[in-house]
Amino acid sequence: MTSNDPIFEVKNVTLRFGGVTSLNDVSIQQERGEILSVIGPNGAGKTSLFNCLTGVYVPQEGSITFHPSAGKAISIVGRPPHRVAHAGVARTFQTSRMFNALTTFENVKIGVEARQKTGPIGAMLKLPRTRHEEKHSDERSHELLEFVNLTHRTNTLADSLPYGDRRRLEIARALGTDPKVLLLDEPAAGTNPSEKLALAELISRINTELDISILLIEHDMKLVMSLAQRIIVLNFGGVIAEGTPQEIQSNPLVIEAYLGASDEAKQ
Amino acid sequence: MSVEAIAPKKRNLSFNGDDVRRMCTAIAGGLVLAIMTGPDGAISDPTYGVKTSLLTGHVVGYLVIGVVIGCLLTYRAKVRDGSWRRVRTTPKRTLIERATSFSAIGRGVLLAVTAVAVAIITLIFADFSGPVAANKMSIHEIVHQFLYTRTYGYLILALALWFVVVNQAMRSIPRPLFLLGAVITILLFALTSDPFLPARFSWRALNPGVDNSLFHHWTTYLWLIIGLAVAVSWMIKGDATRAPRPPRRSHALVVTPSMRFLTYVLAGFVVFEAPKFMSLYWQISLYQQIGVFCLLAIGLNIVVGFAGLLDLGYVAFYALGAYVTAYFSGALPLHPPFQLNPFFIIPFAIVFAMLSGVLLGLPTLRLRGDYLAIVTLGFGEIVYVLANDWTQVTAGSAGTGAITNFSVHLFGINYAWDPVNPLSYYYLLLGILIPAIFLFDLLNHSKVGRTWAAIREDEVAAQSLGINALKYKVMAFAMGASTAGVAGVFTAVKVGHLFPNTFILQLSISILVLVIFGGMGSIVGVLFGAIVLQWLPSYLNFHSYFGFQEADLYLYIGALLIVMMIFRPQGLVPSRRRRREILDSEEGLGSADSLGPITAEQPS
Repeated sequence: MTSNDPIFEVKNVTLRFGGVTSLNDVSIQQERGEILSVIGPNGAGKTSLFNCLTGVYVPQEGSITFHPSAGKAISIVGRPPHRVAHAGVARTFQTSRMFNALTTFENVKIGVEARQKTGPIGAMLKLPRTRHEEKHSDERSHELLEFVNLTHRTNTLADSLPYGDRRRLEIARALGTDPKVLLLDEPAAGTNPSEKLALAELISRINTELDISILLIEHDMKLVMSLAQRIIVLNFGGVIAEGTPQEIQSNPLVIEAYLGASDEAKQ
Repeated sequence: MSVEAIAPKKRNLSFNGDDVRRMCTAIAGGLVLAIMTGPDGAISDPTYGVKTSLLTGHVVGYLVIGVVIGCLLTYRAKVRDGSWRRVRTTPKRTLIERATSFSAIGRGVLLAVTAVAVAIITLIFADFSGPVAANKMSIHEIVHQFLYTRTYGYLILALALWFVVVNQAMRSIPRPLFLLGAVITILLFALTSDPFLPARFSWRALNPGVDNSLFHHWTTYLWLIIGLAVAVSWMIKGDATRAPRPPRRSHALVVTPSMRFLTYVLAGFVVFEAPKFMSLYWQISLYQQIGVFCLLAIGLNIVVGFAGLLDLGYVAFYALGAYVTAYFSGALPLHPPFQLNPFFIIPFAIVFAMLSGVLLGLPTLRLRGDYLAIVTLGFGEIVYVLANDWTQVTAGSAGTGAITNFSVHLFGINYAWDPVNPLSYYYLLLGILIPAIFLFDLLNHSKVGRTWAAIREDEVAAQSLGINALKYKVMAFAMGASTAGVAGVFTAVKVGHLFPNTFILQLSISILVLVIFGGMGSIVGVLFGAIVLQWLPSYLNFHSYFGFQEADLYLYIGALLIVMMIFRPQGLVPSRRRRREILDSEEGLGSADSLGPITAEQPS
């Protein structure tokens, strides 16, 4: 792994809500092609970090730089979420946020179409470009549904999907935007063990076959330890440890933070 | 449609409350249609219209429609929920399919017999249901009907239906015959449905030498071109449709392209032809009360239904369109640099309304929910106050001067719209309304429509996909505004003088009610809402039932809306997406519009 080709560079980010400091002087670097996992007890600031990385929250201090390709740098701070997404950052949410009244296929298609240029005039008159883009987005959506293994649910409404399928649909929708990096916020929450296995396989396929870097928040330590190449541990808004799964497992600070805060580390 | 022809061998024949309700609704709908199309009442005897239309033979035709629709609905529902699943031992062979194995002569005879049967049934139906005929079924009366062009319209529709069924089953009609049939059908359609021909049928219209003949109307050629284009496209597609189709999962009624086309023909026939049989009062209502409000409703539907934004100042854009028309007609104290024919004002009105929509939208669409409603409400009031008080520009409450009428002076055609004849305006309005309906429908089923749905359901998720929510909201605002601007032009030209008190808040709310009543997000729904709710006051007014007074109108509409919200909150004809969203939001899943407070994830 080349250490001088980062995809995300987070430097000294501090995020406050009134008097509460959610992130305190956090510095993180993610390499291109890496599966990096962020763990930490509840309230450690993991989702806040995600929201900063996707432009939802604007940190008061620090800088976040995204490198869509080597040598290109985009500052995330102050950029609205939709432009961050355009740059190549896709995400899923902690509580799944599907477009519930739309079908599985439409959900993915919206993700693919978000990158297309058709405007209202083109859509109303069905101009050649619209037809072309429509064809492309149909094909791409089918491909993605096949990739996440949801083809049998193509015409199911999103709100009637089982929980595990919903997670995978959310990932397919995010992949539709053609991202360089995928931020997964507790993708395994609420799934059963067999779904977890399938999910772990899917995540590593996204990483290897589609060549997308992955930033993963997860409470399930088995999943994290099997997937992540590197782990960052947050507690009380600050980074307390960083390293390979083996290093993290034996890190006294992490054990203390976890045993003190919750018993998830024991699982 | 014979339910018996495809009768299964074993099925559960029991009916439940839903079936009864469905049937009653269909029959009641037929009765309402009968009253609506029945004779008008008289001031001395207000209930004359209802009594006559329910007691004479007139009602029979509509009852038949109601029963047939009820049967079809029940059949569809039963097949859908699986209680009437067809059990077959042999592959399906319908009557018409069997007919394809006949000899050519046998086939010809069968075709002729079924065609004549369809024609006779149609004539009987026309006799029972028509507002013009004397509603007495006798051979004499049926012959008498040939005096009315409407009869021919019914005939063409029935024969077209028959043709679609036969053509789908047989697929054996030679191409030259197909084209010839298309030409004849179109000419007959033009002969019966052309707005410029008299209601009473005359063969003289077919004589090119006569002044007022069919061939002197440009509309005839328009029908021909449209019809031929459709026929040719069918012929080209014909080969593709002959290929074996994939098996369908559902046993329910499947909407084939030709069925859809036929629905369009049917609706087109009613829309184009029915107004000619109406009295002047109803023709005026049709244009000023129903037509213009249909346009306003489909415009507001983009904002409220598609994008999920609550706009309480929609009437402001309508007013802007109207006052732009007055300005370019030179009817305002502020004189324009050049005066224009209203046809050329339409683009100005569109651009002006759209710009004001964008200008209002850009800063305010960042607001959510109640705040947006209040800002739009304020905007509506500002425009009203300006129209009322800025007398140097708008002439204030005294009203504007005369607004130029529509007229055409092109390529030797000189035609001026006659203020006394509302139908000429009505057909012009259709020229805008019908394309708008189709374009907006395409829009709703395109990327833009899906994006609106996504923003409506979950703005945060939509943004995480790279969707610029503000851009799409402003787009919806601008498109709704420009539609209202066009409606403003049509109103201004027909009314002739503008008064600010036309454009009050109450009107904004009335238009919103049309959209909510009909079913947000569904174009058919809002059109339905606009037609029913705008027809109702005209009807009550005309018949002066229960001592109805114009001022009481909102009382009735309010009551109707309350009942509606309790029993059918999704509207009369809701869109599938919206109905789903409302169900979801009742269960606490997502929001039905982009109005509710945003639930940004709390820092964890």
